[in-house]
Amino acid sequence: MALSRRAGRSRFTLVFLLLTSVTVITLDFRDGGEGVVASLRNGAADAFSPVRSVAAAVLDPVGDALAGITGYGDLEDENAALRARVAALEGEVLRNEGAERELSQALSLLDLDFAGDLPRIDARVVSAPISNFEQTIELDRGSDDGIEVDMPVVTGSGLVGRTVSVSASRSVVQLITDPGSSVGVRLSRSSEVAVAEGRGPDALLSLGFVDPGADVDVLELVVTSGLEDSIFPPGIPVGRVASADLAAGQFQQQVELRPVTDVARLTLVSVIDTSGPR
Amino acid sequence: MTTATRLPPVLLAAVVLHTAVFPQLRLFGVAADVLLLLAVAAGMAGGADWGAGVGFAAGLLADCFLQTPFGLSALTYSLVGYGVGAFQATVLHNSRWMTLLTTLVASALGVVLFAAVGTVLGQDHLVAVRLVGIAAVVAVLNAVLAPVAVRVLRWAVEPGKPGLLAGPILR
Repeated sequence: MALSRRAGRSRFTLVFLLLTSVTVITLDFRDGGEGVVASLRNGAADAFSPVRSVAAAVLDPVGDALAGITGYGDLEDENAALRARVAALEGEVLRNEGAERELSQALSLLDLDFAGDLPRIDARVVSAPISNFEQTIELDRGSDDGIEVDMPVVTGSGLVGRTVSVSASRSVVQLITDPGSSVGVRLSRSSEVAVAEGRGPDALLSLGFVDPGADVDVLELVVTSGLEDSIFPPGIPVGRVASADLAAGQFQQQVELRPVTDVARLTLVSVIDTSGPR
Repeated sequence: MTTATRLPPVLLAAVVLHTAVFPQLRLFGVAADVLLLLAVAAGMAGGADWGAGVGFAAGLLADCFLQTPFGLSALTYSLVGYGVGAFQATVLHNSRWMTLLTTLVASALGVVLFAAVGTVLGQDHLVAVRLVGIAAVVAVLNAVLAPVAVRVLRWAVEPGKPGLLAGPILR
């Protein structure tokens, strides 16, 4: 009798909690990233950020050692590939010396912004992703420094992601490798427009909507398209084509993209301030 | 000291571990889910009532740091905590192996349930090939931490009394 009463009470508790959860989820959807839920999230981010910064600083070497043990083979391969890449890039830098200036001039003729002309807010990466599902990083700058939601985040080499949540002193950046990330891009040689989508931490980006007839070269540079309504200004390097394949019966090419920025090892980034008139 | 004074610091410590410590200590790129572990341990230590209640509280705290819909973790963790508590009530002999096995299975199911419910709510990217790997590594890491978590939750909750929220609701 007592056992059955206890089971009934437990079921009542569960139903109550599930209904409360559904109500909270509905509130979050209705507010659309603003309101009480957003304030709660921002408050929690600000409150725990000092502890997280200290923990990140203290535990970083331990984390690196663990990553080194579990991915030793990959690190060796990566090291060899990077040495080869550095040599190739040294030559490329010399060839591309005037390229940025030319791109800027071309975009100004088309009346488009060039990312290099927009003001930037430098920030330090203070913590790694918390979730196993999301590819996000946290920055030590927030709305007090002029950062807003949906601002592009870059390094010297290219695009990192965009801000998805901003509190007074912290910002959360969704990396381009996040499975929920999609960026409008343009192939630099053919000017073909496509969408680069993230597929997780160690996977290459997938390039969607590439015309079957488009001429896509391996190692071709892919930059942000900056089309109307895009939050990313044009011309920011996103990645290089790693593979391109057209399977029989497909209406688009299967193109993979290797990001130009190693988003797994970021320490300093710049947030592009796109809040001004564009 | 009562549950009212013991449980909040346990939850706070779990949030610090979940957001600051374990994200730095990843195995194959995956970190332990301490707040899910808390729900599982509460179910084992205090039964279905406590599992659901602590799971809900831990889930809400987890949601504060995620970009997924707010309440998604609360919903899944309370279900997992309740399930573990209900299962625990049918177990006659409790051993260390049973604790490890229960945590292993419950954690893996919790991760899959989170992704499945998230997909229903429009988070299509949660169900991917990587899901199996994430569930497996979280299950193993949580199982390793389970003996400590269950001991802490046995100290924090009072199994003879109604769960975290059942008392005020049913009184």
